[in-house]
Amino acid sequence: MQRLFWRAGFGATPREAHHWARRGKAPTIRWVLNGGPSPAPRIGPARVDGHRLDPENEWSHDVLWWLDRMIRSRHPLQEKLTLFWHDHFATSDQDTPLMLAQNRTFRRHAMGSFPALLTAVTKDPAMLLFLSLADSDKEAPNENYARELMELFTLGRGYSERDIRQAARALTGFRVDWRENGPPRCFYDKESHATGVKRIFGHAGNFDWQDVLRLCAGHPAHAPFLVGKLWDYFVGTPIPGGTRAHLARTYRRSGHRIKPVVGEILAHPALYRSLDAPGLVKSPVMFVAGALRSAGQPIDGDAWGWLTESMGQQLFHPPSVAGWDWGTAWLSSNAMHVRFDAANYLLETRSLRVKEKATPVKLSPLRAVARARRAVGDPWTSSRTDAELLRVAHRLLTERKLKDGEWRQDRQERADMCQRVLRHLLLSGPDAQVH
Amino acid sequence: MARHTACDDFHRTSEAVRREYLGGPPLTRRQVLAAGIGAGLTLYTARAMPVTRVFEAAAADAAAAPNAPVLVSVFLPGGVDLLDTLVPLHDYGRYADLHKDLKVEASPLEGGAGLGLNPQLSRGVGGGIRGLFERGRVGFLPGIDYPDPDLSHFHSRHFWETGLITDRSAPGWLGRWLDRTGSPDNPLQGISMGYGLSPLMRSGRAPVAAVASPGDAGFWIRDVWGEPFDEAMKTYEKLGHGPAGSHALRSSRTAARLAKQVADRLEPYAEKDGKDPLASPVPYPAESDFGKRLRYLAAMISKPLGIRVADVQADGNFDTHDSQKELSGMLGDVSECLAAFQADLEARGVSGRVITLVWSEFGRRPEQNGSGTDHGAGGVAWVQGDRALAGVHSEYPDLNRLDDHDNLKVTIDFRRVYASLLEQHLGTDAASVIPGAGRLGRVSLVR
Repeated sequence: MQRLFWRAGFGATPREAHHWARRGKAPTIRWVLNGGPSPAPRIGPARVDGHRLDPENEWSHDVLWWLDRMIRSRHPLQEKLTLFWHDHFATSDQDTPLMLAQNRTFRRHAMGSFPALLTAVTKDPAMLLFLSLADSDKEAPNENYARELMELFTLGRGYSERDIRQAARALTGFRVDWRENGPPRCFYDKESHATGVKRIFGHAGNFDWQDVLRLCAGHPAHAPFLVGKLWDYFVGTPIPGGTRAHLARTYRRSGHRIKPVVGEILAHPALYRSLDAPGLVKSPVMFVAGALRSAGQPIDGDAWGWLTESMGQQLFHPPSVAGWDWGTAWLSSNAMHVRFDAANYLLETRSLRVKEKATPVKLSPLRAVARARRAVGDPWTSSRTDAELLRVAHRLLTERKLKDGEWRQDRQERADMCQRVLRHLLLSGPDAQVH
Repeated sequence: MARHTACDDFHRTSEAVRREYLGGPPLTRRQVLAAGIGAGLTLYTARAMPVTRVFEAAAADAAAAPNAPVLVSVFLPGGVDLLDTLVPLHDYGRYADLHKDLKVEASPLEGGAGLGLNPQLSRGVGGGIRGLFERGRVGFLPGIDYPDPDLSHFHSRHFWETGLITDRSAPGWLGRWLDRTGSPDNPLQGISMGYGLSPLMRSGRAPVAAVASPGDAGFWIRDVWGEPFDEAMKTYEKLGHGPAGSHALRSSRTAARLAKQVADRLEPYAEKDGKDPLASPVPYPAESDFGKRLRYLAAMISKPLGIRVADVQADGNFDTHDSQKELSGMLGDVSECLAAFQADLEARGVSGRVITLVWSEFGRRPEQNGSGTDHGAGGVAWVQGDRALAGVHSEYPDLNRLDDHDNLKVTIDFRRVYASLLEQHLGTDAASVIPGAGRLGRVSLVR
């Protein structure tokens, strides 16, 4: 169950974990996909210095705004797929209002029809500006969008340089009006569209931008490409050829809809293999949102903005049009160090803080570990980690003879510190970085 | 794109070399290409795990030697345009036709074979890159690329990062050099300056690190000190060892271990009592992250940390589809930062050890579109440093004889540059890092 909640979302809130633990896989997957009754997260809204977020104007509040959604969502899969699309159609460095509008587009289409999403994204102002499609006109078609449309958004392979150049012509016609007040206005102008016959993937016609999207979505490489990418996002182990073909069939038969494909992936046995050796790395925002959601802790400060950036994932600013490098690339020595620091910020929150003299001094090592586990949301740990945590608790909690000159805190202080150490290691250790 | 199958290094190499360098199925997306999500990198790292491999003793000694040469890679992301950077004054009329609105006025480079330099490359201490060239410390490589260029950012980067023309996953060429000659226990021998590890530096077995800010690599835990803190760190270190049932978990354990090692090695250089042992003797451009990364790197190179290879990414996006007017400004920033870096290395007395290779993943279409240029071939790179051989080391592509895609013709293979640097600067047989290096030829880059 824990596996499903992490893969389909950002971990379970304490109430969700309790509720769904007893209900079995199939009903839980149905809820993940379709929503329905489930205990509300009961995590308060984000506050920074006691104030509500101002995502359009305050630095990093856009990031906090989305993290807040991930932490409190009653439909985590939708947020998880919104993140998938943000990475898939990676757009960067555009005005915040445009980026937030694009984010709403991703969320609205997250589980629906891919062609509808592709249409919305192609005429989305942030994208039009980012990939130079705005003002790419018949006189000088710009190839930027055509190339990434095929390579990154729909096909991966199976096209030629000639296809790109012809598609660039067909895609002309979008223009931008840079206004003095307010964000730029993008519009379509037939006058700047290159009319005439284009040849794309062996088809010929007087194609326009919608024809190009239709040709890409209908290309035989598209379905296997997209379902493979979704599989990687949720499962991570190599996709068996038969599974890819099956998912591609599901996708095409559903009229290119995302939800049926994701539903099959979430129910696939491969997702539940190796429960004692998780195979995916939590991305920085998953790490942060997941730790807070699992602890039932709202956003209560702005540190998460720069912390996720320092870990290598600043939402709304992917490093390039190819999105982020997922997987073990998240785990450089430096990023691991920042995750360790992030655990200090987690330990400062209301739900995870260990106040002075708050820990019973007579707690046994075993119960000390159990107490720490409960506080951080009972995460998965390997048996090796379990043994090491118990060992360190034992060392810190039991009286032993000290060498000469060695200074030691009193029992209460050590009990508090032991609790902090255990919570910290549960949040910062290697096990906590995978799911 | 399957275009590279025929001349793929994967198919050309022997089975033994393949086992050594390559793994995984053909890649189709950036995600797999760079990150190894799922299958990509599993193979080589699974092999890489027994760290018990015996490193050649001589190589380990060399890594510890205080005067060991250092190679720095500086990546200008996006594909830098050759024409507006190293301006073809010898064919200015044709250049002005191709770059009707973009063309830059450049003054000739002395000894630069009729070429001019973007005036912004004079920015910085001592006249920036132009100043360095005039002092005999820069060697330009116009027309650099590889045969049958692929105009995808991600494919091209992957080739440059791995030093292999293949769509298979592989460790980076600098990481492979460390696998071959590096130390089994010093992660600082290969560092990416920044949040994450560059694919250039990804290794099979040699430890490597990413360093964002060497001054604060230390660990602390809120409201925990003394013995409990020491015990906590001992436990953290232990969690970095031991078996792992998945590639992800293994990577996570390794990262924890490396982070701790890096912290221990950098501990003596943390700021204390308001004194920064890594403070730079020369000023860098304020507000430049690139400059900051170079500043940290120069400081670390000057300390006995055993740094052998490093990579730094420049700020800015050189993918100037519709914004080529911004290219000059970005080059100006690069010039200021790299000139400061060289001055810093000189002031610290280590400039004789360091060669920097500045590169981008491809060049751009010679004929402008409306306000910029699309992806093309035949880009620009340069080597700089005290030991760099000054001059122009490759032929400038002929603006009147373009290839079938209206792109510049490639005049030098970047792998030839790699092979030459490996041998002339790092003193390693290139074929042990770049498969088939023998047939790539060499170019003199080091004096």
